[in-house]
This record gives sequence, C-alpha cells and structure tokens, in this order.
Amino acid sequence: MSRGEGRMNHRCSSVSKLLEKYFDQEVTDEEKRLVEGHLPDCPACRETLHSMERVRNLIKSPVEVAIGKESFPWVWQKIEREIRLKERPTVRESLRSWLDRTPLFTRRVLIPAVVAIAILIFVAAPLLFKKSTSYPGPSVVEYVESQTYNVMVYELEDSKGTVIWLFEGPEKEISTS
Amino acid sequence: MNDNEAEVISRCQQGDQDALKEIFDRYHRKVYRVAYGVVRQREDALDIVQEVFIKLFRSIKNFKGKSHFYTYLYRMVMNTAIDHTRKTKRIPSSTINEDEGFQLSDDAEKRPDRILAHKELEERVKAAMEKLSPDQKAVLIFREVEGLSYQEIAEAMGCSIGTVMSRLHYGREKMQEMLRDYVKGGRKDESPLFLSI
Repeated sequence: MSRGEGRMNHRCSSVSKLLEKYFDQEVTDEEKRLVEGHLPDCPACRETLHSMERVRNLIKSPVEVAIGKESFPWVWQKIEREIRLKERPTVRESLRSWLDRTPLFTRRVLIPAVVAIAILIFVAAPLLFKKSTSYPGPSVVEYVESQTYNVMVYELEDSKGTVIWLFEGPEKEISTS
Repeated sequence: MNDNEAEVISRCQQGDQDALKEIFDRYHRKVYRVAYGVVRQREDALDIVQEVFIKLFRSIKNFKGKSHFYTYLYRMVMNTAIDHTRKTKRIPSSTINEDEGFQLSDDAEKRPDRILAHKELEERVKAAMEKLSPDQKAVLIFREVEGLSYQEIAEAMGCSIGTVMSRLHYGREKMQEMLRDYVKGGRKDESPLFLSI
C-alpha cells in the first residue's frame, strides 16, 4: 500500500504489514492491540487505512443504492417462466428420450437385429437384383380355326420374328418362322 | 449449512421448483450485489441473477455438500458475471443511468452539476474495475461488497488464503492508483455519503 513514507515512525514497518489484515478484521487479538496502540501516533498509517476505506466505499456504495431501489418478485416470475419453457422438450429431445426408453433399441436387441438384417440383405440381394434369363412367353396375335387347318400366329417379344403354327389335326403340326 | 438448508437443497436437486424459490428468496440479494458489483449496470445485473438461478436449478445436482452452499453459489455468480462482462466487452460500455450510482442525499445533491459529478465518479470506478484482472475484481467484490472472510473467499474461488490476500492487496493498490483524485484525502466535491466512511 502506498503511503506517506516521510511521516512513518519506526514501528510502521512492523505494523504496516498488519494494516490490511486489521482493516479486513482478520488479525488476532494481539495483533489488533499492536495496531490500535500504534495508530493514534501515526498519521501515515491512519491515512493508509482511510485510503482503503475510501476504495471500499467507492466500490460498495453504488451497489447498496442499486439494491435499495430494486424489487425482485418479477425477477422470480421470469425465472419460473424460463424454467417452464426450457422444461418442455423439443421434438428431437422427445425422439431421443423415446429411443432411450424403447427396449428395441437397447444394445442387447439392437446388435443381433442389425446382424440378422445384414445377413438377410446379403443373401437376398443377388436374388432380388439378378436378371431373369427365362424366355418370355410369346403372346398370341391371332388364332384361326378351320375344318382342315388351325393356324396360330404370334410375335416374339423383341419383335425379331413371327411364328406361325399350322395344325392339321390333333396329331400333326407344322411350324414356320 | 443448517439442516433446513440441506433439506431445501436436496429437494431442489430432485427438481422441486418450490425449493428453488426458497433458495431464491434467501440468496437473490446476495447474488444481485455480486452481479452488480462486477457489471455495475442494473439491467445486466438482473440478467445475471436470472441466469444464475436457472443455471443453479440445472446444475445443483453437482453440489455434493463438500463446501458451503453459499460459496458454491458465489462462485457460480462470479463466473457468470465475469463471462457476461467478456461477452459484452465488444459492445461499448453503457453509460450509468441517472438513478444509478451514488446516493444523492438531499436537494443540494440533486443539482445537475452534482448529479454529473456523481455520474463521472461512478464511470471512473467502473473503468478502474474493468482494468483489474478477473481474479482481483472477484476478491475485491467478495471482500468489499459482501464482506466475506479470507477463508470464505478462498473457498469460493478455489485458491489459498495467501493467494486471496495477495490478489486483494494488488487489487486495492491498483484501485487507489487509478482513483487517486478521489482516494487521497478526498475531493472537495465529494458527497456527504462518500465522505462518511
């Protein structure tokens, strides 16, 4: 603490170390007696104490004035409202909490289920995506019946040709394409 | 911490809002004083009070009762207030309102020149406090505004008593230096309140 060194007496050096503790009421009874015995004879130490008091007052006074003018019930109402608002979960929070609670999504169930689905996909995928090689059934375009011949005309699916069947009777048949 | 307080805290830890209200009723003035001491502005201090109690309600489960509850709360207020100051640092600091600052005790004190002098003084104090480190500011407010003992400050700040004393000493020294005109012997235009120390 800066002070009027010129006015210090010989006991100042030992007492000055205690002044701040004395000001903060943190001294022992013995230290208190020592400081209080010294102060009446030492304007420099008294001035040091006054400086500390003035700083305290500068810091504290406006706070006391401010709190004296304040009323707090509305502050509590705002806090209460804020807590209530924040308590209402968002969609994401609700979903997360549902997932947390649902037994389907516990590890014991989830891991085997994922493995089973993966195996199923692995096995079924070639079957699902395999190109069918079976020859598509021809579509009949025309069928004519007569007493001697029965004729059936149909086109191949890729329009590469036309097949004509001639039936002479139930036993014989001629095919051209 | 007495039994009643322990019971209230325990209820609050289970999400009881009535228990939070009891804590609010008991501590809101202390919280406001510390918050105002740091930011020195009414609206900001009230924002901090709200923030602290909402935060407390969410985090009180973490309070294990190893320290005093009030030191736990003081630490929370101080951290919130210092964070608030950091966030608002980019915004130019607001001027003090006419009804804030030092008490104007009588009609003579309410003269425009006196009001101006008080406003100027509070601006100077605010500017000086902004120049302190957050730790120095914290110990000064805990000690000068709240009157906490060195032990209580050490508990609230999680440091040793020696560290508290050192921060307090250098903080005071800086304040005395920056407010030299007002501190050394006092100024002639000081209000009676200012002199009544």
